[in-house]
Amino acid sequence: MDFDLTADEHAFRDEVCAFLTAELTEAVWRTERDPDEQGQWRREFTKAFRRKLGAAGYIGMGWPAAYGGGGKSRVYQTIFAEEMEYHRAPGLDRSITYVPNALLAFGTDAQKAEFLPRIARGELSWFVGYSEPEAGSDLANLKARAVPDGSDFVVTGQKAFSSEAHMAEYCWLAARTGPVSPKHRGISMFIVDMQSPGIRIDRYPTLAGWTHHAVYFDAVRVPDAHLVGEIDRGWSVIMGAIDFERAALAAPGLVAFQLDRLLAHAREQGRLDDPVLGDQLARLATEAEGARLMSYWIASLHAHGEMPQFETSMAVLCKRETARLFDAAGLEMLGAFAPLRAGSPGACFDGDIEAEYRDHLYFQFAAGGFDITRNVIAHRGLGLPR
Amino acid sequence: MDITLTKEADSLRSTALAFAQHALTHDRIRALEGSDGGFEPDVWRDMATMGWSGCVFPLEMGGAGLGLFELALIVEACGQAALPSPMFASVVEAGMLLLESGVERHRAAWVPRIAAGDAILTTAVFEPGNAELETVATTATPLPGGYRIDGTKTFVRDAATARAIVTLARCPDSPDGLALLLVPSGLRGVRRQRLSSSGGEALWEVAFDGVSVPATALVTEPGQALAALDRLLARGACLKAAELVGIGQAALDLTVAYAKTRVQFERPLGSFQAVQHHCATMYRDLRVCRLLMWEAAARLAAGQPAQREVAMAKAKTSDAIPALTRTAHQIHGAIAYYRDYPLELYYTRAVAAAAAYGNATYHRRALAHLLAHDLDTFRGDIHHGLPVRPR
Ligand SMILES: Cc1cc2nc3c(=O)[nH]c(=O)nc-3n(C[C@H](O)[C@H](O)[C@H](O)COP(=O)(O)OP(=O)(O)OC[C@H]3O[C@@H](n4cnc5c(N)ncnc54)[C@H](O)[C@@H]3O)c2cc1C
Repeated sequence: MDFDLTADEHAFRDEVCAFLTAELTEAVWRTERDPDEQGQWRREFTKAFRRKLGAAGYIGMGWPAAYGGGGKSRVYQTIFAEEMEYHRAPGLDRSITYVPNALLAFGTDAQKAEFLPRIARGELSWFVGYSEPEAGSDLANLKARAVPDGSDFVVTGQKAFSSEAHMAEYCWLAARTGPVSPKHRGISMFIVDMQSPGIRIDRYPTLAGWTHHAVYFDAVRVPDAHLVGEIDRGWSVIMGAIDFERAALAAPGLVAFQLDRLLAHAREQGRLDDPVLGDQLARLATEAEGARLMSYWIASLHAHGEMPQFETSMAVLCKRETARLFDAAGLEMLGAFAPLRAGSPGACFDGDIEAEYRDHLYFQFAAGGFDITRNVIAHRGLGLPR
Repeated sequence: MDITLTKEADSLRSTALAFAQHALTHDRIRALEGSDGGFEPDVWRDMATMGWSGCVFPLEMGGAGLGLFELALIVEACGQAALPSPMFASVVEAGMLLLESGVERHRAAWVPRIAAGDAILTTAVFEPGNAELETVATTATPLPGGYRIDGTKTFVRDAATARAIVTLARCPDSPDGLALLLVPSGLRGVRRQRLSSSGGEALWEVAFDGVSVPATALVTEPGQALAALDRLLARGACLKAAELVGIGQAALDLTVAYAKTRVQFERPLGSFQAVQHHCATMYRDLRVCRLLMWEAAARLAAGQPAQREVAMAKAKTSDAIPALTRTAHQIHGAIAYYRDYPLELYYTRAVAAAAAYGNATYHRRALAHLLAHDLDTFRGDIHHGLPVRPR
């Protein structure tokens, strides 16, 4: 039991912080944010930045050295993720967090050898093809089909809400290979090269001001060698991958940043001794500390070789509910100026707080939203009957 | 960074819990509630034999040489079992105070007996009408060769069974203006009245009416009382948070077990999503409380500054655990409204533990004070400067 970073972990945190501070200068913030995509970095900058993260050795720190990893404990990955979120750096997404973790756990040796070193070098962007128009929370309802044909599978179907599909080299795809009933059987996981013929991407603007995608697969050929796990047994791969996903999403840097931003604002306004605000900030800081401990608790369990399951759901719920508290409290703190957006006279923090209030809305329902996560905790954590 | 219990700590916790849960029947616990003694002497004897009363004291004083973190696990287990004992008064309050800040004569005289469970000591710190200790009205007036103590203290734990009461008073002799004096409870002029309180502790108001004690009654070196008091308050808050975590765990366990077996509309209650979501929220809140409490206890145990962490732990547990017990009752319905169902033990103990050693508002005020006067401490172990990003 030790709540402090070790000297080595501390040094690592300082190193990552220094790296990010040096890379993400004010000039970079001015030029590399995408003016057409609220809150996003330019696509090419993100890709280049991910390669820098790879070169600095920050991707795959916890993987075996044979696959380009650094053999470090999960605590280092959490420190890295915390710093990345805190600095609002680009590139911390599925491409370097849960996709490679899932590949490590479920991929063949050949798949690991083919993909992990490239992922560790930051060369690959991935999109996750789970959701479909009729398969959201009820993911097992997915209908995209993969039909065996010679030494390939042929994939046809539609994926929805496909984050960053437009910049992905590969898709982590769930498709139906077997019977429709029972729903969880008959699903398989594939790695799909996004250069393959037959893929079309549509764009949908979001209320947060950035663009989301839908992806259509029309008789896309995927070699057998890119089936992940056993055929028709993809559901267990998805469930395992989702635990990694939740662990990654639980990183506490966002809420630490949100707290510090409000503290900076209160200090600037000379309101640090306002008792009403003091009570609010005391509550928020306590929740933020809880979220931080949850995340490092998961990292500690991983570091001990355990496989936390519902615990990761609890951690992501805690982090995201805390982030939403900050979103609302942030608007409240800005008073009459709360609705002002970027570029407007009087906008605080360049309108970021209002923009995040819109952006983070998805925390409530996407990738195991608040209600689905409570289902998971109740069933898997407490054993309550279905 | 490693936020997991060691194997030893984990097994200490399960052993403690297994004993605590079987030590007394719920009927007996209820019967003790209001009695003068407040606990079962035989059980306390067993707890001492198992080494609990001595767990935090050094080996050479007859203790087990463990730390405050392990003590927190035991207090949590007692909270989870609603098991009354003089552990808090004698070990958490008086015993550790003597160990950490006591002058040699008192340390040597009392700590081994406290560790062995042979003597119970308690502390008299809080005062009526001033439970948050803004000022201390009780006085220790210097007399030739001693002091005369006048004043009234409240929330004194186990005053009827304690041999002596470590009493906080204002004292003009002392550089910090305060003194802690060891007052044998049988002295003339010491009067006590049982408080009738929610929860299971035997709490007393104790009046000191011209009580004279010798100069050797001083517990600490001159000028050390305030520091000893600060440590006592931090420790008390942290271990009340530990007790609250135990209370919350018990309420959640009862609720989940009930939800799995109670059938309405031809289904177990626990299959209804409204019930499931309540339970999930309870579980999540309990985990946050436990992590915050662990952090506060680990820092205190290591002698690190823990103002922020203790305040967060006590503020959060004092809010969240009583709320958790309210939800627990909601899921039980009428059955747990009756005294013979164990949930009420936790409902009432949550109220008492939340109020003791500073409630949620008190500790948030402490955090707000840090915010206004010591921003770095308020932010904790964060190395970035403020503000964070270009506007
Ligand atoms: C910003 C964003 C990014 C995304 N990125 C990706 C991606 O990259 N890849 C991908 O595959 N998907 C992605 N998604 C999709 C996401 O996973 C889905 O939004 C999610 O699975 C929920 O599905 P749904 O939105 O269709 O809501 P629905 O399933 O229709 O549910 C609507 C609401 O009802 C609640 N609900 C549903 N069922 C239950 C139940 N049994 N109990 C209680 N409440 C219930 C849900 O929690 C939700 O609040 C993304 C979504 C968003 C918003």
